[in-house]
Amino acid sequence: MKKYIYQLAFAGLLLSAASCSKTKLNPLSTTNLSDASAFQTKDRIANLVNGLYGSLKSGNLYGGRYLIYGDVRGDNFLNQTGNVVTAYAIWNFTVTGADGEITGTWDDAYSAINQANLFLDGMAAGGNDVAGATLAKQYAGEAKFVRAVAYYTLLQLYAQPYTNGNGSQPGLPLRLTGIKGSGFNNLARSSVGDVYKQILSDLNDAESALPSDYGDDALNTTHAHVNTAIAFKTRVYLSMADYANVITEANKIVSASAPFKAPSGVANALQSDIKAVFSTYTTTESILSMPFTGANEAPGTQNQLAYYYLSPALGGNGEFSLNPAGIVADASWTATDARRSFINNDGAKQWLTKWPGGNPYIDWVPVMRYSEVLLNLAEARTRSTNSVDAQAVALLNAVRHRADPSTTFTAANFPASSDLISAILKERNIEFLGEGLRSPDIMRLGMTFPGKGSVGAVAPTDPGYIFPAPSTEIQYNSLW
Amino acid sequence: MRKLLTLLTVLVLSSIWAYAQVKTITGRVTDQLGQPVPFSTIRVKGSKNGTSADADGNYSIKASVGQILIITGTGITAKEVTVGDGKTLDVSLTRKESNLTEVVVVGYGVQKRSDVTGNIATVKGSSVADNPVQSFDAALGGKAAGVQITSANGVVNNPPVFRIRGTNSISLSSYPLIVIDGVPTFTGDVSGSEAAANPLASINPADIESMEILKDAAATAIYGSRAANGVVLITTKRGKRGKTKVTYDGWVGETKAYRLWKMLDADQYMMIKNEAVANNPGQTAKFLPTNGPDGKPINTTWKDLVYHTGISHSHNLNISGGNENTTYYLSAGYTKQEGIIVKNSFERKTFRLNLDHKVSKILSVGVNAGYSNEINLAATNTGSLPGEAFATGGLGRTALILPPNLAPYNNDGTYNINGSAIGTMSDVGVGISYPNIKVLIDNNHTSTENNHIQGNAYIQLKPIQDVTLRTVYGIDNLGSDNDFFLTPINGDGYPGGEGISTFNKYKRWVWTTTGQYDHVFADKHTLGFLAGTEQQSTNVLGFGLDRTNVSDPFFTNTQGGYTDNASAAISYNGASYGNGVRSQNYLVSGFGRLTYDYNKKYFLGGSVRRDGYSAFAPGHKYGNFWSASGAWDLSKEKFWAGLSRVFNTFKLRGSYGTVGNTAGINDFASYSFYSTSLYNANPSLYFSQSGNANLTWETSKKTDIGLQFGILNDLVNGDIAWYKNNIDGLIINVPQSGSTGIPGLNIPTNIGSLYNKGLEITLNARPISNKDFRWNAGFNITFNTNRVTKLAPGVDNITYTTGGLEQTSITLPGYSVGTIYVLPTAGVDPATGRRIFINKAGQQLTYEYSTRKYYDLKSGVAATSISTLDKRPMFNSVPKYFGGFENTFHYKDFDLGILISYEGGFYVYNGTQASIRDNRFWNSSIDVLHRWQKAGDITDIPKVEYGDNVSNGSANPISDNVQKGDFIKIRNASLGYTFPVKMLQRAGISNARLYISGQNLAVFTKYKGPDPEVSTNGNDNQGQGVDRNGVANGRTLTVGLNIGF
Repeated sequence: MKKYIYQLAFAGLLLSAASCSKTKLNPLSTTNLSDASAFQTKDRIANLVNGLYGSLKSGNLYGGRYLIYGDVRGDNFLNQTGNVVTAYAIWNFTVTGADGEITGTWDDAYSAINQANLFLDGMAAGGNDVAGATLAKQYAGEAKFVRAVAYYTLLQLYAQPYTNGNGSQPGLPLRLTGIKGSGFNNLARSSVGDVYKQILSDLNDAESALPSDYGDDALNTTHAHVNTAIAFKTRVYLSMADYANVITEANKIVSASAPFKAPSGVANALQSDIKAVFSTYTTTESILSMPFTGANEAPGTQNQLAYYYLSPALGGNGEFSLNPAGIVADASWTATDARRSFINNDGAKQWLTKWPGGNPYIDWVPVMRYSEVLLNLAEARTRSTNSVDAQAVALLNAVRHRADPSTTFTAANFPASSDLISAILKERNIEFLGEGLRSPDIMRLGMTFPGKGSVGAVAPTDPGYIFPAPSTEIQYNSLW
Repeated sequence: MRKLLTLLTVLVLSSIWAYAQVKTITGRVTDQLGQPVPFSTIRVKGSKNGTSADADGNYSIKASVGQILIITGTGITAKEVTVGDGKTLDVSLTRKESNLTEVVVVGYGVQKRSDVTGNIATVKGSSVADNPVQSFDAALGGKAAGVQITSANGVVNNPPVFRIRGTNSISLSSYPLIVIDGVPTFTGDVSGSEAAANPLASINPADIESMEILKDAAATAIYGSRAANGVVLITTKRGKRGKTKVTYDGWVGETKAYRLWKMLDADQYMMIKNEAVANNPGQTAKFLPTNGPDGKPINTTWKDLVYHTGISHSHNLNISGGNENTTYYLSAGYTKQEGIIVKNSFERKTFRLNLDHKVSKILSVGVNAGYSNEINLAATNTGSLPGEAFATGGLGRTALILPPNLAPYNNDGTYNINGSAIGTMSDVGVGISYPNIKVLIDNNHTSTENNHIQGNAYIQLKPIQDVTLRTVYGIDNLGSDNDFFLTPINGDGYPGGEGISTFNKYKRWVWTTTGQYDHVFADKHTLGFLAGTEQQSTNVLGFGLDRTNVSDPFFTNTQGGYTDNASAAISYNGASYGNGVRSQNYLVSGFGRLTYDYNKKYFLGGSVRRDGYSAFAPGHKYGNFWSASGAWDLSKEKFWAGLSRVFNTFKLRGSYGTVGNTAGINDFASYSFYSTSLYNANPSLYFSQSGNANLTWETSKKTDIGLQFGILNDLVNGDIAWYKNNIDGLIINVPQSGSTGIPGLNIPTNIGSLYNKGLEITLNARPISNKDFRWNAGFNITFNTNRVTKLAPGVDNITYTTGGLEQTSITLPGYSVGTIYVLPTAGVDPATGRRIFINKAGQQLTYEYSTRKYYDLKSGVAATSISTLDKRPMFNSVPKYFGGFENTFHYKDFDLGILISYEGGFYVYNGTQASIRDNRFWNSSIDVLHRWQKAGDITDIPKVEYGDNVSNGSANPISDNVQKGDFIKIRNASLGYTFPVKMLQRAGISNARLYISGQNLAVFTKYKGPDPEVSTNGNDNQGQGVDRNGVANGRTLTVGLNIGF
């Protein structure tokens, strides 16, 4: 009897062991959403839009490094650490296509592009109905804006400027549909001109789709609205040397006379105190900024602006100090100019303190400020009229006066229009020091990168004038 | 006629019944050492009545008083015993020395070595028990053919690289499946801190009875989808019937780094650096002495602050014994082992209880339970674990390159610091971004504490003769607490300080049910049949806190005051999870095995397993794996009679089968995902994973053809095996071009293939064996060829980046996995002192750092710059041969053991050499003293130019920094003295042995780094043979004592 009980018990065990669990064999992640469910609710779609901006906020892009590369390629900074992972090779123009800095920015910009493409595809495939017509339109505008910014970013680093051959140079693989799986490695480059055409098409679409005002300072600074798209177009057209269109676009958001401000939509305008722009992040001067709120959103190791530019004593890593022979040496930049307060002189070296916060380095990063629109317009007017344009002088004065009320430019200061252009470029150099505009400005004008410290000048004919092709692309994209 | 015979038999039997009381006699067959002799044959002399003993040597037979039992078996001397009055009759036999007679543990059972048709190597637990290592795997080097163990470096409890028959995967793990008492355990480094934590360290080596290494399809196919890398079965000790035995094993020792680089002192450093500045026009830096508190110029030997002599000790106590029905093994162990790096240590407390109880003739039950608490400590980043090679504060590199003219302290006793970096004292215009490591050693701390419970309980039934039914439920629960504190004073934590604490939990249960049938038909046909089912469920959880900006310098742990809180990233299966990880996988299986032999002459075997694994894509979850094998013992043939005086055994065997690999695959790899993040404190979602809806296991087709032989009554015995592992459907993380924007830029796809083929030779001999002097020798060598045959279409190669920074290795068809990928260089041009680079076209160019230009060597004309496109796959990092040579000598009461291991036919990328020849402010090795100085100088060190990080391979790896790795190592040597029994008896001691032992006593190699046995990238297949900025290895000397009561 006992024996049979054992045998029965054992048979039972065998049976239960043999029965497998279907659910256990098909487990679902509890920490990620499946791609099938991402567009199922209104909230998720809103979160996806936040994610699009989040992809621009990557440490390799507007979280830090895109701005850093734009500046250290120029002549205003001297490398202090010789560290090849913190832009040393970009600074001295020896960077190679396999370097993480070259692949990192490329990969992350295309990740932002793919996120935008996937979003547009997902919305078309049902997301629009979930979101409702109004939001669907707005979101499409935001996605296209993000895509345009990402393409523009890539063009500034990896392609010859538009002005070299009027956009005829090889540009970028132009990807406009979302990629979820393998099989899409190969795509030839479109010309620089074609990529710009797509950027403008996206920005135009965005302009007509975006809300004119979110009614919230933080949203107006961290999400694109109508004026954001227009402001960005002034930057894009300036890069293309299409000055007439810079004027057309800028006029939409710059009043005819001082005080200059946007007549419609978000009332974008200069703030009276430039320092306030870098402490109160959501003023109307900040057309678009990358927000960092709390340590959870930090830009990531060795990406942070303050880590690069603050001296160790100030809480940074002192990667780059200001070049004493750079713009800081300019005598016309007066000592009382408020923008000099962004410079810390420790006796031995000068350091940029626009982003003063140390670890976890969560100062917001400006993508575009209103003062740039004013200077874009001033430069376009001067170049298109080939004269010492009165409004151009007024616009220049608006930017200078805000920081340095003691200096007033008059037409008499500029014997020729080229003198006014030089003054505007110098103003840009001062105003946007550290904000990443230096290298794009040099390149769009086909200028030579000036030498600095031990690094020689780099002419437009030098292969190092633009970034090398990233190895992650040329190795696996056979149509490159 | 037959009827008549039967009748006669009945008559005879009944007459015996009539004349003598036939009774059931039970007993146990043991050898001269008291070890059970399994499967011996017991027959009643003069009758056909016979039986065989079980695996534990137990038998029962019907016989009557006065009859004689004949006990025979392979490898034992036959013995006759007379049945007496008692009902039990234990028999002690003499075992002939031959490894063919052992019992080996196989998957889900045991077999006689002589019956095994698969390729299984056995390493006795006793041979690793006294080794001063943290985990048993670290002690297996050189001990068995086909097994390659490479210690990564001298960081304590850093898992060694473990390969069986070559590197069998590219993207997944090549680490074998480790099964402890039937429960597969976790492998790899489970640490979430800067200290390493090999989970195999939870098994106290002193608790191991034996380690079986399963190599071919016949042996491994029963483990199905997880067997491609081989399987290692760890069996812990069990109690033996008889008097309670108590043993104590302990040792104490010291560990010291060997063959450290010799670096410049302060005077030499300043001389070289100032010369470098002078050689580079426009440079203005000045390297100047600073006087220390003693008024003399500072001359700091930084490596003395990092390396020290570590003290280690180990104590194990075990109690074992049992009676007829119950046996037990209890043990407690404690060890603390300091490494060669200051504050790097391992401390373990273990307890084990193994209990077996026979409830009745039919039912037995038992429990195996092990608990281990391990504390792995490190002061700070050692720069020596995978991914750390270029960590700014990594001790391996900073110990070498920090300037000797700078001191850790200022003369007022404060730390010499400048923000996050070391202060530059009297130097002028020198920018240094590296920290003062003394501050980090003093103030940072990092640790991983593992609490590991491994155990199982079983119920076993023998309802009828020959049938064994068994169900085992096992658990393997590992909790890992990680802590990391970065001081605000200096280094990566500057200026706010940072505290990170994470907790990882790995939880597994395994339920196995098997039925085994064994029977000998007609004395000649031995049949064994096994069928079983198994479920294995694994849950992984991890989370943590990353806090920055400590609110008061008083706080030095994560639980103090901080102003900023974030969640800490957790890594699992090679991926990093910012919000922590919650993952699971499940394996459900059915399996079976059939073994048959005819008269121990012809052997056949087959096994199958069907596995369903949750990580694979729907529709691809199930797979079937199988093996077929056979053997032929020629020495049992009549025609062999003439040869048998030479060859006492001569057995041919062969096997073929398919197995799989799933190790290290992401649990949700087949899915596409959106993950959550934040944008201005609002939730956001982003596309985070491109899954592959066709993903399944890698398939390894294994062939093994072998010969086992014994010569002159096993004076020499050996095993020769030819093998080939053909692996298809290798999961390649197929690279996607950057512009696709695919997350991570790769998608796992079953597409590649590779093979390992080779020859293993094992020879054991006992050249001398007499009363006073015994000499046993064991030699093994494995020749292995590793070739990648296919990657994915459009993917010519896959490059590997060491430490996230330096592309050192490449995997491509026609080469071995992880081939070293460097710029070809050809020494130094005597005319200019510049490094000679060779571009893709074969043109020799020299490089001048100060102008950043390349020139044609012959014409001097400026040339196109060398770039990464000029790199070539140049050197194999996988050894072509490796093995071991072990000798043990016993002379009277003395014993001497020497284990030599060797590897050859491979190269190591000595990246550390690039660091210590870098011409930035970094200190250099004394090699630099014979740098090029004037035209005509013939040297391998180029002209020094301040800032030059190209000429010596810092910016891009160069072939001049690749060196042959071939080595011979005296891995272990021990000299012991066993006290005479008479001397001990009075103290109640039954045996005692005192020994001294040494690990890594000597390395013979032409490699210039500290040790060619090194792996900066750990177990990663694609990054083998790289020595980049890690710490050296250690030599350990111990004194130990084994006592038995």
